[in-house]
Amino acid sequence: MPTASIVVPAYNAEATLVETLASLQAQTYDDFEIIIVDDGSQDATSEIARAHQGDPRVRLVGQANRGLAGARNTGIAAARGTFIGFCDADDLWMPEKLAAHIHHLKAEPDVGVSFSGSALIDEEGFMMGIKQAPRLKDVTSAHVLNRNPIGNGSAAVIRKAVLEALAYRPSFEVERDWVFDETFRQSEDIECWMRLMLTTDWQIEGVPGLLTYYRINAGGLSAALDRQLEAWERLVAKLRPINPEFFAQHENSARAYQLRYLARRAITNLERDTAWELFARSVQESLRPVLEEPVKSFSTFAAALVLKTIGPGPITRLRQMKFKLQSI
Amino acid sequence: MDQKKVLHLVDDTTAGGVMRMLDHLLAQSDLSGAVEQKVLKVKRTAFSWGKLNADVIVSHVAPSWRSLPAFSALRAMHVNTRLVHVEHSYTRAFTTLNAPRKRRFFAMLRVIYSFFDQLVAVSHAQADWMKERRLVASEKLAVIPPTVDLAQLSRKTMPPKSKTTIGAIGRLERQKGFDILIQGFRSTRTPGARLLIFGEGSQRSYLEALAEGDPRIEFRGHAKDPAEAYQAVDIIAIPSRWEAYGLVLDEALAAKRNVIASKVDGLRDREGDTRVSFCNLDPYDWRHAINNFLLSDTIEKSS
Repeated sequence: MPTASIVVPAYNAEATLVETLASLQAQTYDDFEIIIVDDGSQDATSEIARAHQGDPRVRLVGQANRGLAGARNTGIAAARGTFIGFCDADDLWMPEKLAAHIHHLKAEPDVGVSFSGSALIDEEGFMMGIKQAPRLKDVTSAHVLNRNPIGNGSAAVIRKAVLEALAYRPSFEVERDWVFDETFRQSEDIECWMRLMLTTDWQIEGVPGLLTYYRINAGGLSAALDRQLEAWERLVAKLRPINPEFFAQHENSARAYQLRYLARRAITNLERDTAWELFARSVQESLRPVLEEPVKSFSTFAAALVLKTIGPGPITRLRQMKFKLQSI
Repeated sequence: MDQKKVLHLVDDTTAGGVMRMLDHLLAQSDLSGAVEQKVLKVKRTAFSWGKLNADVIVSHVAPSWRSLPAFSALRAMHVNTRLVHVEHSYTRAFTTLNAPRKRRFFAMLRVIYSFFDQLVAVSHAQADWMKERRLVASEKLAVIPPTVDLAQLSRKTMPPKSKTTIGAIGRLERQKGFDILIQGFRSTRTPGARLLIFGEGSQRSYLEALAEGDPRIEFRGHAKDPAEAYQAVDIIAIPSRWEAYGLVLDEALAAKRNVIASKVDGLRDREGDTRVSFCNLDPYDWRHAINNFLLSDTIEKSS
């Protein structure tokens, strides 16, 4: 039995899967298996995965498309490791990532989820100069709801015992348990982490370093931003009954953070009206993001304002300038 | 043979269940030859509870950082006295929902438990949690579920005749989770179904607001005679958010009522008992369980 399993949910990932697998095969900690879950891809994903099976650590599981949560759940069901990590098929792990998390989890028996910060890369794999450097210690439910320190779907390595505590079987499900809620197409991560915080007594904690390269795909329509907000509201409605007092205290600020995040996404997509509207709603919801992270809030405000009053010109030029600076 | 002196320490604010258990224990006449038992009320936040005269001291006081001085003084001043702690308060689900910094909370429990020669868990689920979280060495840990006298309740109740009325009995506090039950029940549509809630507490107006507009839900206040409350309902719902043991489950079974309970802590000790079914802390789960119960009535009548 391998000590660790790395679950790689893959849907039409032919462009990035090779690179992702190479980053996993290069881990310095060597007692692990890689479980590629081909989630009903129509491209060459399964051929690429099959070609990697020469490595005895690589296993391939196929299924009709069930979405990201469904692919992860299938991977969890197939995993044999005591520790289970996730790496989406377009993200990359730094070579020392698995070693850092296994060491952390073995040293800290109260910690059930070990995560790290991430560096953001673009579609071509270039560093964007943006990092996710979350709070690492003393993470509470409030931190998870407001700022989600786990950050993205490729950041965490989790004890199997934690996933067992989270697992449930909807009455219509006949194949295997759910850990991630497959009725969510967005916010499936944060739903799972919040459920973990509200229903288990496991501590979550980070290790230093940016050990994941998290790929940001440009584009995405405003409809997608709407759906994202909708999914977030649904997760709050779903989990609120477990601890209504907690949500009464933190829900507004968390919504404000969520709206500010979506406003920033809208700015990236140069959606002038959406960006402004989302930012305005964020401020109306709660001023806590402004007080806690004034610089980020102000830059969001400034960008949304420029976009609304002057148009996308300055922002595009700023971005080109930044790109030039990086490539020098 | 000398009578051993056993001294029980309770908190000023100790919950009713603990006192009932102690009253029952003190009334055991077959013990009185061997031991002399006394109960002493202490202040949790006192710096010390002083030098106490007893062969065995049993703490029923809830540990906290603020009670750390008193617990450490207790050990320091009674080096040769056997110290026992009964954990009535803390569980996995309690920690999950009430201790934002879990590691700090576990550290506090580990320190305070280390002062005692013996630790008593009130349920197997609680003991499993203490072992899993390494709060106490397993050789120091025993499981002793609390007992109260249920004979009278058993005598005074008849088995339920129908399957329409759901009952909930307990303090109207967040811990008891009646808000989840009310939301779950409200979403059932059976007109003949009823939900009777017995008890008082700080959440009464909040719960009444949740129930407003559904005439099938009734608040009956504190039940002076528990037997009457049990007799008035067909099944008991225990939607607790946490529950170290859950005496109400024993009561319900003694009163010949089946139970729907939340799947937490001490309530899970009854997993496998066919009279008890389990739900998550989720109104949809409760709706499902209540509908199953109401539906089983229709099926029996039609067959």
